[in-house]
Amino acid sequence: MRATELVRLALSRLGSSRLRAALTMLGVIIGVASVVSLVAVGQGATSGITKQLQGLGTNLLTVNPGRATTGFTRGAAGSVTTLTVQDAEAIGGLTGVAAVEPETSTSQLVVAGSQNTTTTIVGTTGGYTTVRNFSLWQGATLNGVAVDAALREAVLGATTADDLGLSASAIGTTIKIGSVPFQVVGILQAKGSTGPLSQDDQILVPYTTVEDHFVPGDTVRSIGISVASADQIDLVKAEITTLLESRHGIPVGGTDDFTIADQSQLLSTVGSVSALLTVLLAGIASISLLVGGIGIMNIMLVSVRERTREIGIRKAIGARGRDILAQFLVEALVLSLLGGLVGIVLGVALSALIGALAGWGFVFNPITPLIAVLFSLAVGIVFGVWPARQAARLDPIVALRYE
Amino acid sequence: MSEPLIQLQGVSRIYDLGRVQVAALQEVDLTVEPGEFLAIVGPSGSGKSTLMNIVGCLDRPTAGTYTLAGTPVAELNDDGLARLRSRTIGFVFQSYNLLPRTSALENVATPLLYQGLSRKDRLARARAALERLGLGDRVDHVPTELSGGQQQRVAIARALVTEPALLLADEPTGNLDSASGADVMTILRELNAAGRTIVMITHDSDVASSARRQVHVRDGRLVA
Ligand SMILES: Nc1ncnc2c1ncn2[C@@H]1O[C@H](COP(=O)(O)OP(=O)(O)OP(=O)(O)O)[C@@H](O)[C@H]1O
Ligand SMILES: [Mg+2]
Repeated sequence: MRATELVRLALSRLGSSRLRAALTMLGVIIGVASVVSLVAVGQGATSGITKQLQGLGTNLLTVNPGRATTGFTRGAAGSVTTLTVQDAEAIGGLTGVAAVEPETSTSQLVVAGSQNTTTTIVGTTGGYTTVRNFSLWQGATLNGVAVDAALREAVLGATTADDLGLSASAIGTTIKIGSVPFQVVGILQAKGSTGPLSQDDQILVPYTTVEDHFVPGDTVRSIGISVASADQIDLVKAEITTLLESRHGIPVGGTDDFTIADQSQLLSTVGSVSALLTVLLAGIASISLLVGGIGIMNIMLVSVRERTREIGIRKAIGARGRDILAQFLVEALVLSLLGGLVGIVLGVALSALIGALAGWGFVFNPITPLIAVLFSLAVGIVFGVWPARQAARLDPIVALRYE
Repeated sequence: MSEPLIQLQGVSRIYDLGRVQVAALQEVDLTVEPGEFLAIVGPSGSGKSTLMNIVGCLDRPTAGTYTLAGTPVAELNDDGLARLRSRTIGFVFQSYNLLPRTSALENVATPLLYQGLSRKDRLARARAALERLGLGDRVDHVPTELSGGQQQRVAIARALVTEPALLLADEPTGNLDSASGADVMTILRELNAAGRTIVMITHDSDVASSARRQVHVRDGRLVA
């Protein structure tokens, strides 16, 4: 029998019990929709996180203070405050270092006119914007003079400027940071990333000014380094290690009191973690597809039982075993394939919705629906074959007598 | 004389139920020539349906040989039997056995589906067969929308649509009132007059008297 005839038979059969067909398909629909949307969510999250991390700076190394170890007790990371502004200056002289900036920080109430907000004040140098991959929206960044003279100049993050109701015209005006007046010299371009990784809610001021007005001493919370090119990252890391060990008097083989975080390493780690997550999500989703397949098998078995007499009649009027097999198999396939197609439409719509809500946009990967279709076809065959064989094997006499 | 359409020689059908063996047919010899109208008559349980299943190639004898239209049935596998059925035999059952939720037209067209005809040809021939049986205005009705007599006429149209050499009818009037039963018998007689070979099973001697020849079955044996 030709395929078109079989499909016509299957469709007219399914059409005569629409509710049952719809409920049976629902299992496959849910399965395929969840596979498609969860994989899209995984991929969208991956690309979103990767984009955010890349936004943090390219070829970025961050030196952080390490843990204090007193006796057998290991303190928290950052519990020693051994990194200093002088360390940052020394690192700036190494080969392969394009830019360096020390960072101190304090949290302060900021007042601009009638608006106020509490935000992070980062004490740094003009190198910050280079190292952290920021561009200026308005005005200028901190210059050498401001740092050297500990001027009360501030560069505002985009969100902070927004919170304070400041726009382009605010350049040159005065705001109060913890009751100290500062002049706004620049506003940063927004990076657009939100959540805990957001870097748009902060104010940059010279580290010398922070030292004068808020946190005395020349220790820093971290040092950011931009490496001139990606292939120099390992070299620069080694240089920094040697330099800081000698500056801090750490013997060879001793425990360093600092750590160097490598942006590219973080990127690849995050990449592999979220790839794993995607596989995991797809795996969980395919379980529901499996359940949908079992639903098809169940309904097909019931159907063979119910239609025993029909099978007997068909055999008496000339159907061979394989005609019956094909008829029932195609019915299962049509069920699973229709379910699969509806599931894809639903899944794509869902992933577009989730992408829009989560803010990483709509990542459409045509491979996923293709795999989902093949998968639902496979489900139809695997779970349709057995009932179809049951039908094909029926003895026509027994089948005709069946009530 | 041409070769017989049906030739049974020493045919037995024994059901093996493990501890007991039921001999539903024993040593049956039967020859049917093309163009005959034969009634197989016998009381309930005598083995009529068993005989019909074997003649209709739905079942195989446990002993003896059966030759249908020159083909020794014993040599065929299940697919071969199906093909022989499809080409040579049209069935009419007591309980009509139409496909449920399927229009009269589709019912009649289905045997042609298994012969591989195109949909257009199938529907055209099915419509013609239904018109021959006076059901031209009922083609789109499903079985539940038809009377018993109409259903049986659809079943006859379905049996005839393949132009089979043999029409096999098992109690074709068994479920019908006397008027529609008489209609069906008239149709069968007309078909036979037009040259169709008919083998009909019945326990009703009135119905059997319509046939040109009768054989009687008792306890699995043919009696003259
Ligand atoms: N599948 C089977 N297994 C065992 N015995 C069977 C089977 N089919 C039929 N028989 C037996 O074979 C005998 C003949 O049965 P059959 O159905 O041929 O009778 P029948 O003449 O058609 O009767 P009726 O007029 O009531 O339809 C019966 O004794 C029956 O019990
Ligand atoms: Mg019977």
